Amino acid sequence: MLQPSPILLNLEKVGVTYPNGHTAIENISFTLQGGTICGLVGVNGAGKSTLFKSIMGFVKPTSGTVTIAGLEVKTALRRNLVSYVPQTEDVDWNFPVLVEDVVMMGRYGYMGFLRHPKAADRLAVQDALERVGMAAFRKRQIGELSGGQKKRVFVARALAQGGKIILLDEPFTGVDIKTEDSLILLFRTLAQEGCLILVSTHNLGSVPAFCDQVLLVNKTLLAAGPVETTFTEENLAKAFGGMLRHRKLAGSDLHDDKDHRAVTVLTDDESALVFYGHQGDKKIISPEGGGDGSP
Amino acid sequence: MISLLLEPFTYEYMQKAIWVSALVGGVCAFLSSYLILKGWSLMGDALSHSIVPGVALAYLLAVPYAIGAFFAGILAAFSMTLVKQKTKLREDTVIGLVFTTFFALGLLLVSINPTSVNIQAIILGNILAISNEDIYQVVIISAICLICLGMFWKDLLAVFFDEAHARSIGLPVQLLKIMFFTLLSAATVAALQTVGACLVIAMVVTPGATAYLLTDRFGKMIVMSVLLGSLTAAAGAYLSYFLNASTGGLIVTLQTALFLLAFLYAPKYGLLKARRSLHQKTEKA
Ligand SMILES: Nc1ncnc2c1ncn2[C@@H]1O[C@H](COP(=O)(O)OP(=O)(O)O)[C@@H](O)[C@H]1O
Ligand SMILES: [Mg+2]
Repeated sequence: MLQPSPILLNLEKVGVTYPNGHTAIENISFTLQGGTICGLVGVNGAGKSTLFKSIMGFVKPTSGTVTIAGLEVKTALRRNLVSYVPQTEDVDWNFPVLVEDVVMMGRYGYMGFLRHPKAADRLAVQDALERVGMAAFRKRQIGELSGGQKKRVFVARALAQGGKIILLDEPFTGVDIKTEDSLILLFRTLAQEGCLILVSTHNLGSVPAFCDQVLLVNKTLLAAGPVETTFTEENLAKAFGGMLRHRKLAGSDLHDDKDHRAVTVLTDDESALVFYGHQGDKKIISPEGGGDGSP
Repeated sequence: MISLLLEPFTYEYMQKAIWVSALVGGVCAFLSSYLILKGWSLMGDALSHSIVPGVALAYLLAVPYAIGAFFAGILAAFSMTLVKQKTKLREDTVIGLVFTTFFALGLLLVSINPTSVNIQAIILGNILAISNEDIYQVVIISAICLICLGMFWKDLLAVFFDEAHARSIGLPVQLLKIMFFTLLSAATVAALQTVGACLVIAMVVTPGATAYLLTDRFGKMIVMSVLLGSLTAAAGAYLSYFLNASTGGLIVTLQTALFLLAFLYAPKYGLLKARRSLHQKTEKA
């Protein structure tokens, strides 16, 4: 179901210097279009969250411009083009709001003046809750959920908002593997529906498993492009410096035949990224196994 | 007996006192739903003291004192948000700082110009002696508050619950916050005349706190809070006729009594309910 003209997110030489004088990101330019899942990868403090906030206009870029579907950020937000799931929710968990009330807030932009929900809004809320597997919790007070469940509710709110661009800042932290897998499945479906999904993560192992594109950042953009060509050992070494645990298993460590291929395992703390093969034609093996590079 | 119970209604000043109190009680209770959720309970108290310099100035300039009070209140509210935004001081520190500054300024003004204001009257308030002119002020303020809150209560909830998200769906966050603090200042001024500065804080805290114990839905919380606020205010004014006691004192005592009931018997968060579920659990185990 491809859109006639996919939505575009365009950053032109964006830089952010915080009031304390710290430059968090500088000179970041890229264009992404609907129908893709893009991974935003970088160490802690690389500026991933800052990049998201500057796309949303929550921190004003000190240089450069952000355009969304050819529009200024403010206009794009008012048209509900962008949904954003921040890294940490700065909300008060004691508010007397139920899960469904929170998700309904994603629909406010579509409602009239008194924010009275129509049938379409209720449907969107129900649908969003089902997609993240939280429909059974709709009548729970928002504070009475586990960390992972809360995360899913905020993803549902982003879905209900119906943004064509969905920004997710480290959605997998504090979420169990099963939930992570179901979220990934959901992102894939959304990308097929024409959404542009930008996900920051430091969980390298899952990047090849679900991203089409990848942006490697450390203050500035180090590399950008399709996962197959950009998500390489060399680029990752650039992005992470000495921060990764690095295991290289040479052919002789692995088996007794004349095969000289080596396995490289890169991980920071979560699931490992595995390279296997000759220097020249490295294959990426997703952690679930399989892939044509396995011995 | 019946005629005795109806006696307060035969006096015009009692009729006025009852319905004006109910109106103000309702408006304050509406605002209280937001204040207690944000941990801004002391804001009402702070504002009510911060308006003293405005009142003093208004007397000096011979303008209605509600106007002076209103602007001083807004100024105080904005000083608080500004200091909060620009420093990393905690909310309670900022409130304390701003409100004592304003109050001190007010005392200074009054001491320099001693005959101008009867601060005592402001601090204690007296609904039974309210003038028609003051009633107009209170009614207009209350009507504006209720209309604005009625139209924007959901937007305000979205802003106070998750400001970042409110911005991301394109709500005018700053404008809504300014509106809220303006209404709060206005309502504080109105409440001053009914219960006095000292008890305003109870009017903008207790009904919301009671309603919070009774429900998990914000909409219901507002309705309950407003009902509690206006009924207790009306009842307080009514009872003050028989007990010959301070209206403000009676209103707040009634509100506290209802809070205690909710505290003990609320279906979900009440003390007894918590005990009971604990019992059931230990019995099962
Ligand atoms: N509000 C802020 N003021 C000053 N510096 C900040 C602020 N927020 C983040 N930073 C700094 O900017 C850099 C990037 O932070 P962030 O975008 O949160 O990184 P990431 O999300 O990739 O871990 C860090 O060095 C951090 O210390
Ligand atoms: Mg971050």
